[in-house]
Amino acid sequence: MKKIIALLMVLAMVLAVVACGSKTEKPAEETKTDDKPATVDPESIPDTMTSADGKYEIAFVTDVGQLKDKSFNQGTWEGCKLYAAANNLSYKYYQPANADKATDDDRYDAMKAAADGGAKVIVCAGFMQGNALAKAAADFPQVNFIFIDGWPLEGLNNVAGIAYQEEQAGYLAGYAVVMEGYTKLGFCGGGGGTNPACCRYGYGFVQGANAAAVEKGINIDVKYSWQYGASFSASPELQTMAAGWYESGTEIIFACGGSMFSSIAAAAAENDAKVVGVDVDQSPESDTVVTSAMKGLSASVQWAIAKQYEGKWEEIGGKGTSLGAANDAVGLPTETWSLKNWSVADYEKLFAAMKNGTLVIDANYPTDNVFTLSNATVEVI
Amino acid sequence: MSFLISKTLIYAIPLMIVALAGVFAERSGVINLALEGIMIFGAFVGALTINLMQKANTFNIVTIAGDMGANWGKLQLFLLLVMVITAAAGAVFSLLLAFAAINLKADQTIGGTALNMLSPALVCFFIRLIAQQSELRMFKGDAASWFMVKKTMFGFEKSQEIGFLGETFLNKVYLTTYICIILFILLSILLYKTRFGLRLRACGENPQAAASLGINVFKMRYSGVIISGALAGMGGFVYTLTTANCVANGDVAGFGFLALAVMIFGNWKPLSIAGAALLFGLFKCIAASYSTLDINGDGVALLLNLSKDPVWGKVLNPHMYRLIPYVISLLVLAFTSKKSRAPKAEGIPYDKGMR
Repeated sequence: MKKIIALLMVLAMVLAVVACGSKTEKPAEETKTDDKPATVDPESIPDTMTSADGKYEIAFVTDVGQLKDKSFNQGTWEGCKLYAAANNLSYKYYQPANADKATDDDRYDAMKAAADGGAKVIVCAGFMQGNALAKAAADFPQVNFIFIDGWPLEGLNNVAGIAYQEEQAGYLAGYAVVMEGYTKLGFCGGGGGTNPACCRYGYGFVQGANAAAVEKGINIDVKYSWQYGASFSASPELQTMAAGWYESGTEIIFACGGSMFSSIAAAAAENDAKVVGVDVDQSPESDTVVTSAMKGLSASVQWAIAKQYEGKWEEIGGKGTSLGAANDAVGLPTETWSLKNWSVADYEKLFAAMKNGTLVIDANYPTDNVFTLSNATVEVI
Repeated sequence: MSFLISKTLIYAIPLMIVALAGVFAERSGVINLALEGIMIFGAFVGALTINLMQKANTFNIVTIAGDMGANWGKLQLFLLLVMVITAAAGAVFSLLLAFAAINLKADQTIGGTALNMLSPALVCFFIRLIAQQSELRMFKGDAASWFMVKKTMFGFEKSQEIGFLGETFLNKVYLTTYICIILFILLSILLYKTRFGLRLRACGENPQAAASLGINVFKMRYSGVIISGALAGMGGFVYTLTTANCVANGDVAGFGFLALAVMIFGNWKPLSIAGAALLFGLFKCIAASYSTLDINGDGVALLLNLSKDPVWGKVLNPHMYRLIPYVISLLVLAFTSKKSRAPKAEGIPYDKGMR
């Protein structure tokens, strides 16, 4: 009797697994059919594919946080998938072990697994991969590495450092929300204030807000925090803090760090307040999103992978490439524009000034978080 | 002030209900260390149910949410349904513990620990399968925009003042809070004022004596563990709904273990447990929101100013605020543990032959 029960339970589990598997495939098919002909929805490309020879040419090693963080990792991954799908190449993602507490060894292991799995180009996202990348790139000289949010590594011509001028994206977002009429702003950054990309976002945000305040002749307040979010994750504490800010008058918070967005959007939804998204257009995630400070992750990853396949690797290999407005690699989402008092035309004017170099944004953020701004009071929490 | 009270409740309610879950198991004689594991499972089932039902548009739920003003009551019914489902899931999951501890007479501490390890692993496995990532979110919208009760739903304007009580208990609250409070009271009465409760407690003190009076100890212990599992599963869902935007990721931030501490802190008595949970929740809330906390309503965030003061700031800084809930728990336990009295027969498998 017991044996029969055990057998039945095993069967039930197998069936459950099968059922789950088939369920997940459905939505992908549906989106495929109603896709616009011109653009491919990256969501319609499956995250896992099986190549015929068991080798995966384009590999992606994630940063801390989820693959589908609707932000940094996801944007980078979409670039990999889009390029691979368009050119019929095999692709695979690798998440370093121990998730948010991944060590350099865990990241190296993920890169090694990718290289052993037949990768020709490995996209590594996040500045924290530097140490592991230095070791992996030396061990696998035949593989090329694209280091997103990174820098060139000395003596390694197979590493391309791609950095972004986040201060420009932050500036655009800060400028936009103040022009829209918000005067009490907040900034919640991830990485505990040690992540250069987040620091540049934050510094650009307050500069942009200040510039718009000067133009309108008003004074604004900014709450500026690096608390809760050292590992870019959502937490009840972060949600409580953000709810407290909204409760005490803050109108909009720049949620600058992967999954932290969930907590801040939840607090905003409680208080009918607003959020600025980061890295990719996050407006589909929540109705609270007003605009997003975007990096053209997907586009620049495709651009960099193309260099490999077009035989132009030496253009970026061994060098650091900084992408900004001049390369259309930063910006605000104009397709889902929701601002009423500041139009897309106004935005394009500002963006053009940034693009042709007449408007230069200071990227050297103060490491002690002390800002000297004429019309903005920054309260560091 | 009303912000502090409502946020304190949000932290305290899951702790309170899960600590009560612990009481039911332990009062029947089974140590339930698996509270954390059951919470994780309940949170997962809740998030999954909401996600799937949103995706499939069961009961036209998405259409209903689109017209929030008129239909918020229906969404609350939906929420109630999900609570019932998570309670059932928790009860089923706790059967594993009950079977090991009662039928197989296994060591209850080890059984509970095993469940605590099994649950996050199992949940992460299923989330991977279902969502191809390590967390499962709502399919649409935010927890607050779907399920939070706001004063605008009762026909008030957003800027209209509805008095201190109204602001605290009718605005920006979750239905789950009140359900949990009512359940807490009802179950406390069940435990102390009914025949069933007396028998359950007897099985936790001296099961042989209870059996000699014709009480079925197996049945009583099973009931204790199942009630415990149902409450813990629901508590896990309440946790994820109110503090984690309905995201399941195989983690409830240690609330299950905190609830165990609260249960011991409260000396296995419901009233003390409620007090302990509120105290703990209050300090957790202060730690997270000190930067804007304005207790007396004069527009000054006292704790923030203190933390920036050159002298006070050395003692009262953000790190200290975050430490306080734990320090207080330690202190209170140190002073009250002498009086603490666990059920006598807890942790000992029932053996008919032992007298």
